[in-house]
Amino acid sequence: MAWIDFLDLVQSLMDGVMFGATYALIGIGFTLIFGVMHKINLSYAAASVGAAYLSLLIVSVAPSPVVYLMAAVCGGVLGALVYFVCFRFLPLNQSLATLMSTVGMLLVLEESIVHATAGMPQNYPAAFADTVFNIGPFILRGDLLFVFLLGCAVMVGLKFMLEKTRLGLATRAVAQQPIAAQICGMSVDQTNASTFVIAGFLGGTAGAMTGAAIGVLSPLLTLPLTVKGLVVTVIGGLGSIPGAILAGLIVGGAESLFQFVRGVSERDIYVMLMLFVFLVFRPNGLFAAPGGRD
Amino acid sequence: MDFYIGLLQVIGVHTLLGLSAWCVLHTGQVSLAQGGFFAIGAYVAGMLTAMVGWPLAWALPTAALFAGCIAIAIGFPALRVKGLMLVVATTAFAEIVRLVFFNLKWQVQTPNGMVGPDGGLGFGGIRYFPANALSGLEILSLIWSVVAAVMLFLWLLDRSRIGTLWRAVGEDEVAAQSAGINLTAAKVSAFGIGGAIAGLAGGIFSHNTTHIEHGNFTILLATFAIAYPIIGGLKSLLGTLVAVVFIQGVLIEGLRFLGDWRSLLFGAMILAVMLIRPSGVISAPLNLSLFIFKKNATKLGSSKGASHA
Repeated sequence: MAWIDFLDLVQSLMDGVMFGATYALIGIGFTLIFGVMHKINLSYAAASVGAAYLSLLIVSVAPSPVVYLMAAVCGGVLGALVYFVCFRFLPLNQSLATLMSTVGMLLVLEESIVHATAGMPQNYPAAFADTVFNIGPFILRGDLLFVFLLGCAVMVGLKFMLEKTRLGLATRAVAQQPIAAQICGMSVDQTNASTFVIAGFLGGTAGAMTGAAIGVLSPLLTLPLTVKGLVVTVIGGLGSIPGAILAGLIVGGAESLFQFVRGVSERDIYVMLMLFVFLVFRPNGLFAAPGGRD
Repeated sequence: MDFYIGLLQVIGVHTLLGLSAWCVLHTGQVSLAQGGFFAIGAYVAGMLTAMVGWPLAWALPTAALFAGCIAIAIGFPALRVKGLMLVVATTAFAEIVRLVFFNLKWQVQTPNGMVGPDGGLGFGGIRYFPANALSGLEILSLIWSVVAAVMLFLWLLDRSRIGTLWRAVGEDEVAAQSAGINLTAAKVSAFGIGGAIAGLAGGIFSHNTTHIEHGNFTILLATFAIAYPIIGGLKSLLGTLVAVVFIQGVLIEGLRFLGDWRSLLFGAMILAVMLIRPSGVISAPLNLSLFIFKKNATKLGSSKGASHA
């Protein structure tokens, strides 16, 4: 391989890893909800993209950082909505019921987006799109770097929240032993609801970051984001937040690498094959969940 | 009239798809791979009739057998995991199948010109039905006799020893295993039979529409496949049929007068059905207690519902 090809390869790997921060955030959202409720929320990525769309409402009057903040807040609100519509009043011992209800929610969200925008892709404000750093032979795109750093900041915030606040303590307690947590006086329902809100914050940020990195928002983003988020969750290990972060970066990097080597139409085949390799050799993911429950 | 014949054809194909998911769900596994097997059946049957020139009577069973074999081959690694992991693994498989067909270019010269899958443009010219001058009604009766045969087969299977094994595994894996049931055999056989039925459905679908492309086989199709038995209720085969008629006939076609709002309402209706009848339309008595004793139901659920995703 020529030297210049090698440089391109490393370059695309770097870009991919930085974009992988969005996958990591979506993966964390899936993992958080799975951790406390042992349920899968298929509408999560759709709600994240929906939150980014909602933040477009103020795009003409507010600077882009406020738009991103708005996306996170809308994500939280949508998270609470999803919890109350799809989980709160369903019998949780019927695992298929919540699966179907979140699918219904996914369809509702996606169709609402299509309906509100007539299916047209919408421009999304980028941050530092013109900034470019040169590191040796490599180029560091400002907008991707911003997305990466924002993702890292949100993850640090989440870690702080989970480890230093009472809410985080309750979340971890419910995730480990719901009955024991209830005996100790924690409201499982409230903790579940607030976990959905927190996951929604992350999702909204991820939606905004995706929009900022790509430059447009489209309803076509929801299904690929859902699939990638699930892949990240499984590769990282169910219920494991560090696993989701690492897996998100790996999937982002691998995706970009496969795209460079095999082209855009084939890249996802190899990402999915990578998942199968993980399922065969490390079925529990990179990190097993704390407490080791399935 | 043609419209209703077309609608009944679609309902027939989707009933087969729902029945394929029913097999897998019966053993307690949630598989989103049915769309993948459907795609394999569609492409293989289409290639056999359009490119090789086989009659449909040979092509359909071959496609079903092929999809079933792939299902068994996939079943062994995939069924090592369960719950959410299986959902993701099968999703990944369905996406791989879709993307392989998205990239597949393989055309041969036939009397009707170049025929075969053409990458993203799809696979057109599967003209077995028009070439043999089959009318809509004849196609319709063909589809529904296949549906009837498959339903009879599954009904007999459900009443046989195999059906008992499947249900035992679906109810409680640990108990089934301690009773000496081979879990892998039960799950993989259900997966294989489900895959074969999905392949059959795909073969009929490709001949009925004459043009297929990768966009027909997204995760959404697989979601529909598992939605039918879940919404209909897993206890009976008839539930699947009722759910297909409800979704394809009432929700998708019956609400057409609503225009664009139809697809929005569609998701909301699925939500509503799951809220009112969480275990399916034909199964338990109406879940009215839900609205009265909400607290109790959730508390019980959150402590019990830890095993599956």
